[in-house]
Amino acid sequence: MIQLLASKPFKILNIKIIVLILIISIFLTLPLWSSEYIISVFVLIFLYMSLGQMWNLLAGYTGLVSLGQQIFIGLGGYSLAVITVLYQLPIALGIIVGGVISILFALIISQPIFKMRGDYFTIGTWIVAECLAVFFSVWTYVRGGLGFNIIAAYKLSTTDIYYMAVAMGLGSIALVYFLLRTKIGLALMAMRDNESAAETLGVELYKTKLKVFLIAAFVTGLTGGLLYLSIAYIQPRASFSITWTVAMVFIVIIGGIGTIEGPILGAFFFILIKQYLYNYPGISMIILGTVAILTILIAPKGIVGTLQERYGFEILSIRRR
Amino acid sequence: MQIIQSLLNGILLGGLYAMVALGMSLVFGIMKLTNIAHGDLIIVATYICMVMAVQFSGNLLLAVLITICFMMLIGFLLQTFLINKVLDKGPEPPLLVTFGISITLSNILLLVFGADARYIPNTLKTINIVNTEHFSISAIYLLNFIVAIVVICTLHYIMKNTFFGRSIRATADDVTTAELMGVNTKRIYSYTMCLAMVISSIAGLLVGMNYTYYPSTGTEYLIYAFGVVVIGGMGNQMGILLGGIILGIAQLMGAYFFGTGYQLLAGYLVLLIILTIRPQGILSKATRR
Repeated sequence: MIQLLASKPFKILNIKIIVLILIISIFLTLPLWSSEYIISVFVLIFLYMSLGQMWNLLAGYTGLVSLGQQIFIGLGGYSLAVITVLYQLPIALGIIVGGVISILFALIISQPIFKMRGDYFTIGTWIVAECLAVFFSVWTYVRGGLGFNIIAAYKLSTTDIYYMAVAMGLGSIALVYFLLRTKIGLALMAMRDNESAAETLGVELYKTKLKVFLIAAFVTGLTGGLLYLSIAYIQPRASFSITWTVAMVFIVIIGGIGTIEGPILGAFFFILIKQYLYNYPGISMIILGTVAILTILIAPKGIVGTLQERYGFEILSIRRR
Repeated sequence: MQIIQSLLNGILLGGLYAMVALGMSLVFGIMKLTNIAHGDLIIVATYICMVMAVQFSGNLLLAVLITICFMMLIGFLLQTFLINKVLDKGPEPPLLVTFGISITLSNILLLVFGADARYIPNTLKTINIVNTEHFSISAIYLLNFIVAIVVICTLHYIMKNTFFGRSIRATADDVTTAELMGVNTKRIYSYTMCLAMVISSIAGLLVGMNYTYYPSTGTEYLIYAFGVVVIGGMGNQMGILLGGIILGIAQLMGAYFFGTGYQLLAGYLVLLIILTIRPQGILSKATRR
C-alpha cells in the first residue's frame, strides 16, 4: 500500500489534486477577504474564461472558426431581459431560457450554415450575427434600438453574481475536459488530424460538428445571460457586436489555441489589460490586436502551447490513459 | 412608379458594391485569402481621401491619387511583413492575422478621428443627370456605375494582356510551377495586394461621397464585399458586377417593400440564401474548394 502511494504517477496525481483544491478554495472564499472591485474583475475573468473555452472548443478542436458567437451572447442577454422585465419572472428562468433559445437557434441556423466550409462558414456566421443586430433594432417586441434596463439585476449583490460566474467558468473547463475524453473528443481529434480518414473509419463528421456547435451555443448563451446580469443594460448594437468574438479570439490565441489551459490564462491576461487601460478603450483594442498578430507570427501556439512544447508538461491532459 | 426608381437605383448602387468587392475578389482568387481587414482598409482610404480633399481644397482627383500612393504602401507592408509570413501555415492563421489587422486599423481610426460620422463633401450628390416624371438618375449613382465598369475593364485588360497579369494568373493556378518558371510568388502576392489597394482607394472615395461613415463602418463593407464575391464567384470580374447589382437590388427592394429599417436585413438575407444554395457562386462552374 505504502509502495503504491509512493509510486511516481500516484504522487504527481496527489500533488495535482491538492493544488487544484487549494486554487478552487481560494476562488470560493474570495468574496470573504477581498474588495468589491477585485470581485467584479474576477466576475469578468470567469465569464470570459467560459466564452474562451467555448470558442476554443469550436476553433481549436473542431475546426469551426466562427465569428458569430455574439449571436448567442445577444440571445442570452435578451432572453434574460424579456423574461425579467416584460414578464417579471425570476432571473434563473431568464438565464436558462437564454441557453435553450441559443441551442434552438443554433439548431435552426446549422442547416444552412453547415453547408458552408472554411472561410465561408466564418463569414456566414458573422452575417447571421449582423442580421440579428439589424432585426433586433427594428423589432418592437424587444423595444428596437432603445433596449432594456434589466432592473432585476440591481437586487443582486456582486457576490451573488461572482458565485454564478465561478460556477460558469469552472463548469465550462470541466465540460470541455470531460467532453474531450469521451467518444466525441476522440472523434474530434481524428477529424482534426485527417478528416477524410476519420470519415472512412466511421466518424460521423456532420453529427459530431453539430453536437459541438450546439454545446458551444448553449454555454455561450448561458454566459451571455450572466454577462448581462452584471452589465444590467442591453441594446441590440452592443449585444450582437463583433467585439464579443474579438475578445474570445484574443483570449484563445494569446493563451494557446487547442489547449484547455490556454483560454484560462488568456482570460486573465485579457481582462487585466482591459481593466488597466479602462480609460483608453481604443488603445487597449490596438494593443490587443497587435499582441494577437505578434503571437500568431512568433508563437502560433500561444503562451501555453509554446511552454508545453518547450517543457513538455500538461496540467489538464485530455489523453486517454 | 417608385418601384422603377428603386430598381434603377439598386442597379446603379451595384456599381459601388462591385467596386468595394473587386479588391477582395482579386486577393481571394489569387492568394485564397479571405482578407477580413478589407472593409477597414477601404474605410482607411476614405479617411485619407477626406484629409487630402481638405488639404487640396476639394480637388478629389488629386486627393484620390495621393490616397492610392499611401494605400499601396500600406498594402505592400502589410502583405510583405505580416500576411506572407502566415499564408502557408494552414487556414486559420491568415484569417486571424487579417482579423487582428482589422481590429487594430478600426481602433486607430477611432483614436485619430473620433466616433463622429464623416462625409466627403461633393456637389454630385444633389445633381440629377436624367429627370423624367417617372424616375431620375442621380449623378453620384451614375458615377459609381461608370467607375465600376471602367475599373473592371482595365483590370480585365491587365490580367489578360500584360506580363504582370500573366504572372499573377500563373501564381493563382499553380504556385510550384510558377516558381519553377522563375516567378517570385511571394513578391507577386505583395503586388497583388497593391493592385487591390489601388481599387480599394477608388472604392473608398466613392463610399465617402455616397454615404456617411464611421471608424467602425468597415465591417459593413466587408460583409458586402464578401457577399458580392460569393454571389459572383471568385476571379470572375463580370460576376462581381452582377453580384453587386443583385445585392443593390435586394437591398432597395427590401427597403421598398418593408421600410428602410429592413434595407440592410434584406441584403444580408439574400446573401445567406445564395451562400446556402450555391456556395460556389452563381456564374462559377468550378467546384467548391
